[in-house]
Amino acid sequence: MKALLTPRWSGRRSGLVVLTVWLSVCAAWCPPALGQMVIDLQNPNEAKLPIAIPDFIALGPAHTDGRELANILRNDLALTGLFRIIDGPPAQQSSADGTPDFEAWAQAGAQALIVGSFSVSGDQMTVEARLFDIAQKKMEFGKRFTASLADHRRLVHAFGDRVMEKLTGVPGCFTSKLAFVANSHPKEVYAMDYDGHNMRQVTWTQSVSLSPEWSPDGRGIVFTSYLGGNPDLWFQSLGGGQPQRISARRGINASARYSPAGDVLVLSLSFEGTPKIFLVTPQGQVIKRLTDGRGNDISPTWSPDGASIAYVSDQAGSPQIYTAPVNGGPSRRLTLKTNYNTDPDWSPRGDLLAFTARVDGRFQICTMRTDGKDVKVLTNRGTNQDPAWSPDGRMIAFVSNRDGKSVIYVMDARGEVQVPVSPIPGKAPAWSRSPG
Amino acid sequence: MSYIGLTRVITLFCLSLVLAAGCAQKIVRPTPGPPQGTQQIPVGFPGQVQEAELQAVQAELKSVYFDYDSYVLSPAAQTDLQYNAEILRRTPNVSIVVEGHCDERGTSEYNLALGDRRARAVLNFMTTMGLPPQRFSAVSYGAELPVNPGHNEQAWAQNRRSYLRVSK
Repeated sequence: MKALLTPRWSGRRSGLVVLTVWLSVCAAWCPPALGQMVIDLQNPNEAKLPIAIPDFIALGPAHTDGRELANILRNDLALTGLFRIIDGPPAQQSSADGTPDFEAWAQAGAQALIVGSFSVSGDQMTVEARLFDIAQKKMEFGKRFTASLADHRRLVHAFGDRVMEKLTGVPGCFTSKLAFVANSHPKEVYAMDYDGHNMRQVTWTQSVSLSPEWSPDGRGIVFTSYLGGNPDLWFQSLGGGQPQRISARRGINASARYSPAGDVLVLSLSFEGTPKIFLVTPQGQVIKRLTDGRGNDISPTWSPDGASIAYVSDQAGSPQIYTAPVNGGPSRRLTLKTNYNTDPDWSPRGDLLAFTARVDGRFQICTMRTDGKDVKVLTNRGTNQDPAWSPDGRMIAFVSNRDGKSVIYVMDARGEVQVPVSPIPGKAPAWSRSPG
Repeated sequence: MSYIGLTRVITLFCLSLVLAAGCAQKIVRPTPGPPQGTQQIPVGFPGQVQEAELQAVQAELKSVYFDYDSYVLSPAAQTDLQYNAEILRRTPNVSIVVEGHCDERGTSEYNLALGDRRARAVLNFMTTMGLPPQRFSAVSYGAELPVNPGHNEQAWAQNRRSYLRVSK
């Protein structure tokens, strides 16, 4: 098993085939033991697949730049941490019949190649792209998308999602969206493409917003707001209209997260005195309380099977992460090291929890297995908080002030590639569930 | 009020003044600012508390401060709350929103829970001082409304606070 998981790209075997096998293992839902072996890859850099994505070719006159389209895809694939983008010399074009010059690309060090072309007709754009295995000298698959010109980024993202599906068995998350709270006054909720483009304001409360969460269908946001003077839970449709109040109980109504099935919300309520974790219906009716004891319980996150939650409690004197079964039973403490561990987010793949820990006096993004073992610190510059997994479990959005202002960052699950994405300062990123 | 009760209150009040004077150097006190929070104080009806009286009470009330990641009321905080309680006994028509605030360190959600506990700790203390609980409500603002926007120990100490906001 271990040998399978540590591929070497230097051999004469097809890199694409090996990558496909390897990524398929990573992508499959793994029990924690398998997940651990994937993370334990000795030299992750060596496992990156060298891929070339030359500028897209314009078929006819077009206002759009073929380089911009290729850059969208280059950025998508680089952010997964699974690819190394090869800069091939521009002369390495396809031949007249569309067959790439495989030898030239192999010389440049590429093992995979994506060739894209586009045409514009009126306000419609068509993008056609193909993925090639250079060693095998064959096309893996091709796809053609048409949409309005304004939607051109989504077209390229959609092709990237299919590339990931072809190579890993799990579609990419490049068409998904991030919501976050702007660090301004008032603190409103914004939404944007996962790479920071097409940002728009979602709430107009003139108040303070906290903890946005996408509705399962991606058409609305639940969030905590002081719109009514108290930290209550509200829902705002992305289609506009007035926000609707979901829970306005005395005390806090905060950190709500939809269950994987989408039929239940878990959140922290303090109307009984101390903040505790509750299950409520999407309309705000209390189903039951999940935690008890004397601690502040906050920031719940669902396991992907919906059977458990992880959450933060300070019942032992400092904030630590615990898990509890949803159908009753004792909670269990997961974090044992450092005295400040908060904001757990359970990977959609089920094998890891991302969380914020105070390490040497600063907050950093970490991952650990669901039994609390194998803690990895993924960040080391500035203050880093609020991790949120992408729906495919390959990336983590978070907040960092490493370069001054706190903005939203995205990184791959091992922290190798970390880039700022939000055009404005913000916090509390939430990743949409379904492609937006 | 009974004679014993009155004696006790006067004693406590005098004691709290002495304690407050003695402890004044130990806590960071920002200069009193305008009312905090997101809501305007609603305009009252004739016959209710006058705006001037509200402002006078607001100016008298002291904020109390907390240690990092703690909602325990320090002896200094208890002294200031005893002082506040005495003022509120003299103004029975004034209601209070107890705000709980945190410094910027830590995550928003955890700070929201922490601010909730701070506000409730103050509210509970005020009721143990004999003030009717229906005069109080608690609201946590987490780390969202700092009084000092700085990123240093002094700013953090000023922001870890509970503010008693008057309402009618």
